[in-house]
Amino acid sequence: MTAPAPAVEAAGLHKSFGTVQAVDGIDLALAPGRIYGLLGPNGSGKTTFIRMVAGLARPTAGTARVLGTLMPNRDLLGRIGYMPQAEAIYPELSVGENLAFFARLEGKSDREPVDRVLELVGLADRRTTPAMHLSGGMRRRLSLACTLVHEPAVLLLDEPTVGVDPALRAQFWAHFRQLAAAGTTILVASHVMDEADRCDELIFIRSGRVLARGTSVEVRARAGTTDLETAFLHFSGLDTEGRPLEAPVA
Amino acid sequence: MSASRILAVARRIAQGFRRDERTLGLIFIVPIVITALLGWVIRDQKDVTVQVVIVNEAGAPGQRIVDALTRATIGAPDGIEVIAFADTRDAAADSLREGNGDIALVLPSTLLEDVSAGRRPKLTVITAGTDPAVDGAALGKLQGLMATLAGELAAASGGRAILPEIDRETLYLTTETDTLDVLAPVFLAYFAYFFVFMLTGISFLRERTGGTLERLLATPVSRAEIVVGYSLGFGFFAILQVIVLTVFVLARVDVPSIGPLPAFTIGLDVQSVGSPVIAFLLAVVLSLGSVNLGIFLSTFARTELQIIQFIPLVIIPQGLIGGIFWPVDRLPDVLAVVAHALPMTYAVDGLRAVMLRGADFGDAAVRLDFLVLTGIAALFVVLAGATIKREVA
Repeated sequence: MTAPAPAVEAAGLHKSFGTVQAVDGIDLALAPGRIYGLLGPNGSGKTTFIRMVAGLARPTAGTARVLGTLMPNRDLLGRIGYMPQAEAIYPELSVGENLAFFARLEGKSDREPVDRVLELVGLADRRTTPAMHLSGGMRRRLSLACTLVHEPAVLLLDEPTVGVDPALRAQFWAHFRQLAAAGTTILVASHVMDEADRCDELIFIRSGRVLARGTSVEVRARAGTTDLETAFLHFSGLDTEGRPLEAPVA
Repeated sequence: MSASRILAVARRIAQGFRRDERTLGLIFIVPIVITALLGWVIRDQKDVTVQVVIVNEAGAPGQRIVDALTRATIGAPDGIEVIAFADTRDAAADSLREGNGDIALVLPSTLLEDVSAGRRPKLTVITAGTDPAVDGAALGKLQGLMATLAGELAAASGGRAILPEIDRETLYLTTETDTLDVLAPVFLAYFAYFFVFMLTGISFLRERTGGTLERLLATPVSRAEIVVGYSLGFGFFAILQVIVLTVFVLARVDVPSIGPLPAFTIGLDVQSVGSPVIAFLLAVVLSLGSVNLGIFLSTFARTELQIIQFIPLVIIPQGLIGGIFWPVDRLPDVLAVVAHALPMTYAVDGLRAVMLRGADFGDAAVRLDFLVLTGIAALFVVLAGATIKREVA
């Protein structure tokens, strides 16, 4: 039995801004139907990596492929769902109008997908509320709903649950699990450790490079700890009190 | 290009405005208020009586003329009144300085001598010289008096008075044409241009700074679809604005007095002989350029205040040298060259040709104006598209 073709594939991926190497040679293959956690300290290159995969930034060197197609490629964008860190919604439009707008851009003009995701993120009773009157958590849910409305095969989520309460976060993850079971590949950039624990596989990056990769158990073993938070600090080059380690991380 | 994606972008813009009553007011009410104010100021200016001080340096022979002039102004409908007499021009000048009188007419001491010798006497007119418009109006009113003066001078010289009769004719419109008739048609275009620029600039700046542009670019929408969608969305409001303002400018609805309310008139009843449809098309291509200018310049602004800062830079100069108030062909050479690079110049020329002379697309000048405006709009569509940074078109 051969392994399925990777949904996302990065080969020698580089991105530099002037003299800064934001992404400094990443090789990764993400299998379809799995949830990957992208972990790393602020400024480690997570967002730049995701933007290259989403076709929003062109690599300085190397290639990023999604579903076998070289990115950036506009036609493939309809099969990718990208949720940026900041809520990219129109405050003067209602919840339903925001969703219908993104659905139409993705080529879905009927009501069904909008109804489905409204139900999913628990905003069905807010359909006519202008987005500017929503709470922070509701805006986050709306932003996620806009990302899911076209049922993408690859989901790229940049810190999707910031400002979302634990109950709702649990719902989000139950849904991510459903989507993955249906074959969606999900890459989640996150700082939240209990969230990282729910991923099938973790990828630690720092200074634009992959430091460690594996299941939560494997990663913790490599860091020599039982605690994921400590493992995160370890791979971030910090000790348990957040101070820089003397020796560089192997 | 996908029509449904373009329409989605255009619809998004319209939906955004629907809840923004203040902006809707800005688009539709403000231009009407400003144009109405302009009409009120131009049309209903109080007819000021010009007060004349007559200076007679010519002694007794002059006195006869002074008496005749004074008689001529009594009951004259053209608002001129002799309020004082002076013996010297210095005394008259003092009188004007103190605010007694608007204009002084000096009969020179050599009056009788000149007339007797068959020379044309030289009269001096003194005005404040601080406001050319006011002085011009006063001089105009003095013309009537001059006719009387000519008769008196002829009598003084013993000859027969030959008073020229003046008959005015016009090529277009009527002799009743006033400043408003000439200004109102181009104000349509200027307002549309201004509001569309400001609203698009701010709206697109929000797309850039609010992260929604990046989010749009993560969907299959193309840059061309975004630019065309924006042009449609804002073009829709520009078109509505132009229609509302055109109707207001051309219409005249007399509302009769009801109870204690006085009768009043809605609409400016501006004279026009041209096709409103062609004028409308000119305003539409002008607005398309404005939408894309707004998108283009939003790249160079970081805040909404910085969009406002573009107004004195790009909107006001077009109002000053675009031919709205002063004809482009009378501008200094350098400014005339600049004016010919501005869309407003072509819109003003085209709109005046259509509305005042009744020209249509059969007129080469109107065709040229339309083509240049279309070209400028196309140029800014391309520039606007180029400022939407994306790795794939």
